[in-house]
Order: sequence, then structure tokens, then C-alpha cells
Amino acid sequence: MMRYASLFWEYIKNYAKTRLTYRADFWIEVLSDLLFQGMNLIFILIVFQHTPSLGGWSEAEVVFVYGFFMVPFGVFSTFFSIWNFSERYIVKGEMDRVLTRPAHSLYQVLLENVDPPSLIGSFVGAIIMALCWTQLDLPFHLLDVLMLIVLVLGAVLIYAGLYTALSAISFYSDAPTGIVPLMYNIQNYGRYPVNIYNKMIRFVLTWLLPFAFVGVIPASYFLEKKADDLSRMAMMTPVMGIIVFSLGLALWNHGVKKYRGAGS
Amino acid sequence: MLAIDVKDLRKQFNVQKNREGLSGALKDLFKREYNEVTAVKDISFQIPEGEICGYIGENGAGKSTTIKMLTGILVPTSGHIKVNGFIPYKDREKFVGGIGVVFGQRSQLWWDIGVIESFQLLRKVYRVSEQDFRKRLNELVERLQLGDLLNRPVRKLSLGQRMRCELVASLLHNPSILFLDEPTIGLDIVVKTEIRDFLMQMNKEQGTTILLTTHDLQDIEALCSRVIMLDDGRIIYDGGLDELKNRWSKGREIQFQFARHTPIEKLKQLTESLDVTWTPENDVTAKMWLPHAVNVSDALARVVGGVEIRDIKIFETNTDDIVRGIYQSGSAAVSKETSQS
Repeated sequence: MMRYASLFWEYIKNYAKTRLTYRADFWIEVLSDLLFQGMNLIFILIVFQHTPSLGGWSEAEVVFVYGFFMVPFGVFSTFFSIWNFSERYIVKGEMDRVLTRPAHSLYQVLLENVDPPSLIGSFVGAIIMALCWTQLDLPFHLLDVLMLIVLVLGAVLIYAGLYTALSAISFYSDAPTGIVPLMYNIQNYGRYPVNIYNKMIRFVLTWLLPFAFVGVIPASYFLEKKADDLSRMAMMTPVMGIIVFSLGLALWNHGVKKYRGAGS
Repeated sequence: MLAIDVKDLRKQFNVQKNREGLSGALKDLFKREYNEVTAVKDISFQIPEGEICGYIGENGAGKSTTIKMLTGILVPTSGHIKVNGFIPYKDREKFVGGIGVVFGQRSQLWWDIGVIESFQLLRKVYRVSEQDFRKRLNELVERLQLGDLLNRPVRKLSLGQRMRCELVASLLHNPSILFLDEPTIGLDIVVKTEIRDFLMQMNKEQGTTILLTTHDLQDIEALCSRVIMLDDGRIIYDGGLDELKNRWSKGREIQFQFARHTPIEKLKQLTESLDVTWTPENDVTAKMWLPHAVNVSDALARVVGGVEIRDIKIFETNTDDIVRGIYQSGSAAVSKETSQS
């Protein structure tokens, strides 16, 4: 564990050395990330200009959920920016190099792709949450901070597990799959109160592709109780996270054995 | 002790069959057909510690696939491998700590950062202590003359410089076995020689076992006491380089330069009783090819006795020609080999 932590630090230092030399690039990335999130937020605000509540959720509550979602999403994007995994590591065969080194292959791939600017999204998310918190007049306990950390970690694990599994698919399938953009779209549904969807979608978002556990379910822990009490399921978030991540990791470990290398 | 022990190793790939044209592509979409391609066909060999072994064969003969199985990158379809006492694909993370790998076509180093930073990172990955690392690095840097390159980013290095850095990168953790996949590809003769000398020296001083694949037979001649030749996934030769030459070179060639125009018929007449062939080159020169069965002095005596000669050159078939011959007759050699065994 200690070794992996020190490895992590080394990779971050190298990241800093390579990336911070291109300062403009760094800020553009931060800015475009924030703009992207800002657009989604504006969409929520526009929806609430037409209706005072969405499935029993007020504007501030939905924005709160969105703020919560941004925190694990930022952490996830920082450590799991492996969108190009299939192309870079499988098609171009860079996995060869990774596999000749004495550290877990997934860990190496993740470290080679860390993207710390995404972390800024998490801070913005936290600020949004804090603002909504005061606006909603929610009581504040120290326990909430602890819960927040646990729930965020659980949510990050869910994301991590799903995208690890997705990346691992490239070990089995020859051609890079177009499934990542699809997932990217589905995950967005998890940011809104799931009870506004029909049963089918709710089921999928809760149990199959548990994106609801990344946004609305854990966030509802902090909010006022609703009719169909989602907050009861909030405590499931870390459990779900461990299950999903274990499955993703297992699929990865199995997939590595199927790796076929690229030419030459 | 054996550094590498391979028995009945086999690797099969399922390769998707692409049908022709748009309609074919549409059919592929719904029902794929696969071809099973066997890249490595039940090969067995053993390499003792401290040996430098050349692994040669045509493109697509299965060299890289074998290397990748030996280094734990690919999982074999069947057979047994033991490298350095490990089964590579099983204890991968432990196993790779004891081997060094250089793929000539692929870089191990980080593109944007200084060479020394890459080395530092690898030091952490391989858990080498700062002290050992310094000592080892100084040795390697001195021997491969990298001193002033260490602070440059990899992308600004020439291929020769990069290759020497790659070698250092693969040796920082002092591996007992070194795998080199085409280490001299695209390098100029000076760098090639330097790398060969370095490998030779390292093998002598530290007893590092080296397995290298190459298309440059001079690498083999300079380094390897042993050659394994692969064709279509099977081993067609395993033994010394000299034996290879003796076994496969069929004869030699003698070029004569005559004092005056000599018709080819006359030469043929002179050597009538011998099994030689003549090829005229121009009016005053001709080449005689004679198989090993024919004594050189016999043949020379006949020619010298018959015509006046200005100059003689004897050509021993070089390794390139021999190997080209084997590659071209690859299938024949295989059937011969299998009928023998």
C-alpha cells in the first residue's frame, strides 16, 4: 500500500512537470470543464422557470443534488480519465509495456492518465452544495461531513467500477466499442431525481447501471425526506460502490489474461 | 540452472475473417467468422543461465509472440513456461521484477519528461533503493556515454540515443534475464556496435542471460553462442551459429580473372569430371560454384593448369545468404526436420 501511495506521488510529480509547462493548456482545460458543468446547471435552472418542483423536488434541492454529483465526478475524472484506453493501450499495444512492470496493470494505466484539473469541478460542486445548504436551511452536524466523505467515496467507486468494466471490454473485443459515449449519456440521468422517470429506467439506474447512487440517492441523505424515501438507500452507496468496483476489477483482471497484443 | 525452460508452448489467436465488400461487411456485423491462427506451434527449448541466445525468423514467424509469452504479456494457449523460476503470466508482478525488456519498436520512457525523470520513476516502480540506483546508473551512463543526455526530454533524442536510454531503463533493476526484441532496428553501425559491445560485456561480467530477436544477422554473429530459428511457429534450427553455417551452406564460389578472353566452354571442359557450375561475368572473368563435396584445390588445379590467371577470389557463403536460403525453403526444412525427429 505504501509503495502504491509513493508511486502515486511520483506520477503526480511527473504530471506536474509535463503539464504545468503548458500553462495555457491547463487553464483552458479547467475552463472548459467548468463551462460544461455550467451548461448542465443552466439547463436545470431553465427547467425550474417552467415548474416550481420536479417530482416533489424543489429547485434548490435539484441543484444540491447536482452539486453533490460534481464532487465524486471530479474525483473520478481525475483518477479515471481512461477514455482512450482502448485506442492507446489495446490498439497501439502500449499495454505490452505496462505488463512488463511490477505493479498492478490497472493502477499503472490510471496513473499514466491522471488528470488533476478535473478536481476543480469537485470544489465547485462543494461550493454549490454549501450554497444550497444555507438556502434550504438544513441543519448542520459534524457527522454530515463524515457521511459526505463516505458517500462520495462510495459514489467514486461506483463510477470507477463501471468504467473499469467498460475499459476491460476492449480486452475481449477487437474493435474499440462505441459504448463509452452511450454510458456517458446514461450517467447524466443519475443527477436528477430518479422518481421522475418510469419504473424501467429507475430500475436500470438503481441496480444495473447504478448511476442513481452517484447523484440523487446519496445526496438525498442530506435533504428533507420525500414521499418515496430515497435517503433510506443512501447508506447502500458505499456497499454498492464496493460491489461494483470489485466486479469491474474482476472483469479487468480476467480481461488482462485475454490481452492479445498488437502486431510486431 | 535453467533461465528459460519452455515445453510444448503453443499460442493460438482467433482472427476475425473479414468478408469482401459492403455486403460482406454487413454479414460480418451479424455473424462473424473466425480463423484460428496458431502463431507458435508446440515449441520446446531451454536456455541455461548466462547464455546469449539469438531468436531469428521471418516476419510473422512467431518470434514476438514467443517473447511476449516469456515476459508474461500474453498467456499461452497450452504448454509450460518457466522463466527465472516463475510461470510468467501467473506471478506476473513478482516475475517482471527479475527481467528486463526492450522492445525496439516501442518506448518505455515517458515522452515529455527528461530521461533522468523516467529513470527515477522506474526506480520507484521496481523498488530499487536510491543507493543501488545511483551506483547502477553511474555505471550504465558511463559505459553507454549518456552523460549529457540525461536531462533532455525523450522526444528530443535521436533514435540511437533513445535506444541506449531504453537499454539503461531496462537494466536499472539489475535483471538476471534480458529480453530484447529487435534492439538494433534502424540504428547506424556505430550505435549498433556500441550496443553489441555493451551487451557482450554485461553478459561476461554479470552473467546476464540474454534472449534477443533480430533481423540483423551481424547482431547474432557478434553476440550469440546459440541460435534458435523459427519458421511458421516451429523451431527449425536450434544450435550453434557455426553448425548452422556448416549445415546449411552448400558450397562456395571462386571468381577467376583471366589474362585474356576465355570462352566458358573451355572452362567447362577443364572441370568436366567435377560437379561444378560456371557463370560467365564478362570477357575475362567467370565464377565457379562448387559444392562442399568438391575439393577446392582439385578444382583450382584443373583451372590453373589450363588457362592463365590474373586473380582469384574465394567467396564463402555469408550468413545472410544462408538464412535467406533457409527462409525461402522454410517449408522443406520443416518436413525434413519433422521426419528426422
